[in-house]
Amino acid sequence: MDFVRNFPFMSIILSLFSGPLTSILNGKWAKRLNTLVIGTVGIMSSFVLAYTLKTKQAFVYIMGHFPAPWGNEIRVGILEAFMAVFFCIIMMLCMMGGIAEREAEIEESKQNLYYIMVNLLLCSLLALIYTNDLFTAYVFVEINTISACGLIMIRQNGRNIEAATRYMIMSLLGSGLLLLGICFLYDLTGQLLMSNIKEAVQLLAASGQYHVPLILALGLMSVGLAIKSALYPFHAWLPDAYGYSTLSSAAILSSLVSKGYIFLLVKIFYRVIGFSVVCESRVINILFVFGILGMLMGSVSAIKEKDIRRMIAFSSVAQIGYIYMGFGLGTEVAVRASVYHILSHAATKALLFVAASGLSDSSGGSRHYRDFTGAGYRNKLAGVAFTVGSLSMVGIPMFSGFISKLLFAQAAMGHDRKMLPTLIALAISTVLNAVYFMKTVIRIYTPVPESAAIVSQRPTVECRRVNWKEQPAKSVSLVFFILLNLLLGLNSEPLLHLIEAGLGMFE
Amino acid sequence: MNEMRMLFVVLIPFITGILISVMKFRSRKNMLLFTEVMAILNSILVFLLLLYRPEGALTVFRFTGNLSIRLQLDGMGALFAGMSAILWPFALLYAFEYMKGEKGEKTFFMFYVITYGVTLGIALSENILTMYFFFEMLSLITLPLVMFTRTREAILASRTYLYYMLGGAAFAFVGVIFILTYGCTSSFVPGGVMNLVKIGDKTNMMYLIYIISFCGFAVKTAMWPFSAWLPKAGVAPTPVTALLHAVAVVNTGAFAVMRITYFSFGIRLLRGTWAQYTVMGLVIVTIVYGCSRALKETHIKRRLAWSTVSNLSYILFGVVLMTPLGLVGAMAHMLFHSFMKICSFFCAGAVMHKTGKSYIHELDGMGRKMPRVFVIFTVSALALMGVPGLCGFVSKWYLAKAAMESEDTVAWIGVAALLISALLTAIYMLTIVVRAFFPGKDFDYDRLPDVKDPGWRMLVPLVFFVVMMIVFGLCSGQVMELLQEIAAMSVS
Amino acid sequence: MDILLLVSLLLPATAGICLLLGSFSEHLRAVKQEPRKLPWLPPVVAVVLTVSVALVLSAAWTGRRSMTLFTLVDGLPVYFKVDEISRWFVTIVSVIWLAAGFYSFVYLKHEGEEKRYFGFYLLLYGVLVGLDFSGNLVTMYLFYELMTLVSMPLVLHNGSREAIMAALKYLFYSMCGAYGGLFGIYVLYRYCDSLTFTAGGSLNMTSVSGHEGFVLVGIFVMILGFGVKAGMLPLHAWLPSAHPVAPSPASAVLSGVIVKSGVLALIRGVFYVVGADFIRGTWVQYTWMILALLTVFMGSMLAFREQGFKKRLAYSTVSQVSYILFGLSLLTPMAYVGALLHTAIHAVVKCGLFLVAGVFLYCFEYTKVDELKGLGKRMPAVMWCYTLFSLALIGIPPTAGFISKWYLAEGALKSDTGVISWLGPIVLLLSALLTAGYLLPIVMKGFFPGEEEDEKHSGKVRISWFMLIPLIVLAALAVLLGVFPQILTGYAVEAAGVFGWEVGL
Repeated sequence: MDFVRNFPFMSIILSLFSGPLTSILNGKWAKRLNTLVIGTVGIMSSFVLAYTLKTKQAFVYIMGHFPAPWGNEIRVGILEAFMAVFFCIIMMLCMMGGIAEREAEIEESKQNLYYIMVNLLLCSLLALIYTNDLFTAYVFVEINTISACGLIMIRQNGRNIEAATRYMIMSLLGSGLLLLGICFLYDLTGQLLMSNIKEAVQLLAASGQYHVPLILALGLMSVGLAIKSALYPFHAWLPDAYGYSTLSSAAILSSLVSKGYIFLLVKIFYRVIGFSVVCESRVINILFVFGILGMLMGSVSAIKEKDIRRMIAFSSVAQIGYIYMGFGLGTEVAVRASVYHILSHAATKALLFVAASGLSDSSGGSRHYRDFTGAGYRNKLAGVAFTVGSLSMVGIPMFSGFISKLLFAQAAMGHDRKMLPTLIALAISTVLNAVYFMKTVIRIYTPVPESAAIVSQRPTVECRRVNWKEQPAKSVSLVFFILLNLLLGLNSEPLLHLIEAGLGMFE
Repeated sequence: MNEMRMLFVVLIPFITGILISVMKFRSRKNMLLFTEVMAILNSILVFLLLLYRPEGALTVFRFTGNLSIRLQLDGMGALFAGMSAILWPFALLYAFEYMKGEKGEKTFFMFYVITYGVTLGIALSENILTMYFFFEMLSLITLPLVMFTRTREAILASRTYLYYMLGGAAFAFVGVIFILTYGCTSSFVPGGVMNLVKIGDKTNMMYLIYIISFCGFAVKTAMWPFSAWLPKAGVAPTPVTALLHAVAVVNTGAFAVMRITYFSFGIRLLRGTWAQYTVMGLVIVTIVYGCSRALKETHIKRRLAWSTVSNLSYILFGVVLMTPLGLVGAMAHMLFHSFMKICSFFCAGAVMHKTGKSYIHELDGMGRKMPRVFVIFTVSALALMGVPGLCGFVSKWYLAKAAMESEDTVAWIGVAALLISALLTAIYMLTIVVRAFFPGKDFDYDRLPDVKDPGWRMLVPLVFFVVMMIVFGLCSGQVMELLQEIAAMSVS
Repeated sequence: MDILLLVSLLLPATAGICLLLGSFSEHLRAVKQEPRKLPWLPPVVAVVLTVSVALVLSAAWTGRRSMTLFTLVDGLPVYFKVDEISRWFVTIVSVIWLAAGFYSFVYLKHEGEEKRYFGFYLLLYGVLVGLDFSGNLVTMYLFYELMTLVSMPLVLHNGSREAIMAALKYLFYSMCGAYGGLFGIYVLYRYCDSLTFTAGGSLNMTSVSGHEGFVLVGIFVMILGFGVKAGMLPLHAWLPSAHPVAPSPASAVLSGVIVKSGVLALIRGVFYVVGADFIRGTWVQYTWMILALLTVFMGSMLAFREQGFKKRLAYSTVSQVSYILFGLSLLTPMAYVGALLHTAIHAVVKCGLFLVAGVFLYCFEYTKVDELKGLGKRMPAVMWCYTLFSLALIGIPPTAGFISKWYLAEGALKSDTGVISWLGPIVLLLSALLTAGYLLPIVMKGFFPGEEEDEKHSGKVRISWFMLIPLIVLAALAVLLGVFPQILTGYAVEAAGVFGWEVGL
């Protein structure tokens, strides 16, 4: 069974090398290979998960048996393995959901480029999840950025180029700050391996030496990753990037890429700085304030938005805000809630993107809110899926959003000063979410009035019925997303145990 | 098995609803027959449940940790369940005639029946989370009913409706979480579950949270300043407005407030605090506000809706008195108001259905064309005003008595508000009656549409409700004893 | 269970309901018909009315009966009890009802919809009997509300827009008053041992202590509330609108009897539940006295200025009923007796005046005071009755009005209420002068219209005996009660005796 210990490293290598390999294949084969890679990695990660669950402890995999500081290490616990599995599932479903759009929107000759980027992205995500080395993490953060840029830019129209440039600049700024933070830490401790840094930091913290630089390093890294994961007010790149890129890119970007950074941040908190030190610093207060602002402002922007895709994108800002608010609360329970929300949001947001595109299919490809009138009748599956996603976002019991809301609120209860702001922000944010999501749901179930063509100034869109058989891949992915959402909502207890155990292994 | 029966009564309406939408009926009549039979069957089951009460609780499903969907039947739940079980079959009967010829009837009955199950779910909730679960579900299930007509107005109204409902639930959620965290248990325990040791010196925080969650739940009862949704939701077909927005949905709000006040926070902690006075102030304002808005309104259904706003706050007033007697008054008004208001709505609906007229000035002289309906309407109007001999008087009596005995200046003001509201009720209800029966000397009856009293399906519920109003008004003794028993159980 | 009591309550009510159902079933058939002649109606109503009056009076004057029906609310039964006040009021009601009822048989031909009218008329009688016989506050409140609802259709009987608006105004003012009263009942229910009427009241002083202020507020609201029916300031405005538009016999009973229900309710509330001692000397008593006096004066002034005949009489009612309220508010034995006397006498007189107004309306369609000229020659009997009524209302001996006013003034002077004890009689006197000012010119114009009027209107007009006899009977009463006052005063003094009050002139 110990052979399984090789799987994390193998899955990183597999996805890394499949990238260059893809470049010599044509689009069709690239797609197949990509599916194969994601599938294989998923299966391998499940084995790893099973293995860690069985052994109940994390293992360290030293590459080439060179011990640190020369070699590179991978550390795998329950949570890492689970994240890998979950990311693979989501990525698979996103890719399935976006096939038709990719084929329509990306030039034939560039199809395979897209799959290269996806493979690289998967590789970097896995590396971010597994690595035990801070500098390796930085390297893969950069790879992640590059491939994400590629995903945005591949659909070559003006707005995408602009969006990708903006994303690039913001992301690089974030990486730069992260790098600075890492440098500071290296300077303070002389280590790059996470577990080693932590020992040193604990000593420093205990002795009270270099307090300011330490906090500065923490702050730089947090802010850097916050920019990259689009925490308000660093979210300016997000709506365009999510709104105009091709469907699977948007879904992957929103549900995976930003979550990869956040997961890295969790690791930094737990495994690099030490959670108690983080909690004592004021950095988390900043994260808390920005998180709450994000929760509210993201939703407010979403309410103003008429383009459905951009609306969902703005909603991401709000949801990222939830996660950072959880960090900001600075308790174990709150971090658990944040991690759960990573899962819940990944499942829900991708679902919403895919469902919205399904609705848009039936509305002549328009993405304008008004053209979605009655779309729920024309494309029944997408309508149901969108409703499920919205209900989850609003936090209706049975769906995943409710559980995360519940966890956040419970976590807030343990806090003296931050309790009330959090609760109020949660409540208001719920109302705001309800405003734009439920408005859309009602809109898609409003029948088209007969006189609409005369009344409205806009050219009427070409409405048509979409059968679920028309795009079987998309339908399948929608069904799976719905199931995943219900699973997270109804069967959250084992997951929470898993997260708790996983976080426990971080120590 | 004994406990499983609780699940059955909740699920049967769901199954019925789904069957209605799936099954192919040979004729409309068959569908109606099926729906009615299932509803009556379920009501019979509910009454059997009330007669042979299962003692234990039933865990249906667990979310995480100690958060689970659990059902249990206690006195207060029994009252609410019994009330729903009486009302639904009659309302369905009425709906059959009302909805004749409407498009999408099947969807309508599907959701209409499902709401029955959800309401029973709220009545049978054993803990706060279960109640919250059904509470949210009720908002969503009733949404398609509000937007049933799919006109622009209906869509806008349903939007407002949903914002208010979900917004209210979001704030109620804060209270739910507080109870989950600071309570000894999430179950409803008479006298409250708050863990004083855990709360420590955070009592002011607790009061604030109580107010927040009170407001959250009270959004469903359309308390001021959250009352705008109710009149707007009147665009729904009358069976919906009458049963759901005058009785079931709004009463679940009141019921939830009773639950959190008496069973979660506990009146011992709240009585005499600023939290109590704040909510009481809001409630008193609503009592008068609702009536004044009703007075201003010229659309008959909206007028009745505003009247509901005010009357629901009577119930809340009884609740926030935080004495057993206040609870008796609240429960009595909950019960009696259901009959009065559903009856007046059904009358209004019958007129609207028959003539298509919905403004009060259009009803001149209709008393001659539809005498039965208007006589029944008059009785319900008198009951709402609180004329002795009809049920409205009884519940108001208990509310006032409870307020008097609480020896509290704010409560005394509340009594004054009750009476002012009664006066306003007299004005806005009786103007309709007088206009309908006495349109004036030179009124030309030939100008009225040629309509007659509606058929038996509409009249049977109406007559039944009137009989109930009179019976409760004259022989309230036993009912009130029962309620007193329930209240005593809920406070101990 | 007392069968006689029950039957006397139920007979008129049932008969009324039957008539109403008859009228309603005509609506149900929804056939438009020419108004049919109903030759059987007056005899039937006459028989029912007479029999009920006989039953009621025999129930009232044979022993102290009591009866409990069923529990209305919260252990409070619908409870009837015959006591001195019940007898007094029920007798007044019965006499007036009989008189106005017989008058209506002819008069209603003028108005139409007789079935409905007599239906409500009989029903209202039943309700009023119930009100008078009530043994506790809740029962009284029950009948008080019913009285408002049942009397409203009498006000809007002719169906004109003005009448409907007046009826609504009546309804809403009355409801306002009733709810004020209800507030008082709520308060008293909390602070009294029982709501059953007991002479001297049953206020529980131990539970009151510490809440005196609130209880007084409650009582004051109750006084204001019940005062609405009696036309007391500030909520008197319904009276001058509602009374004139009703058919004249209905106005007669409204002014003669219905407004007295407010008085009855006040007597019951203040003297039989609260107890006079509790409010004596408090701000409640003073405010009450001042309001009553203001109403007395203001009513007379408004009546003096008013040109519509029935409206003038309505304002006069406002003023005169507040004589009674003033008498009650003094809380002294003599004034109490005066108030009771004035209740009876004003009922007779005002009923008579409205019936006279009805005659003018019925025969000539006269509604304005200016039009009433030379009538002394055309219908002398009626005009003589009017003269007697006027004298009685002004209070000129030997008519009955003098007796009651004497007692009232005497009661005021003997009370120790400071300024009021001499200001009150002055206001009463002033108001009497004004009364003379607004009633007597009609008498003068009636008998001495001047030269030119003689030619324009001449020739005697015959009116039906059905209308004339009630007038004559009432006029006779107005005089006889003044000539032989001991019939009334003896009983009134006895009624005051239950409080342990000795009254001697």
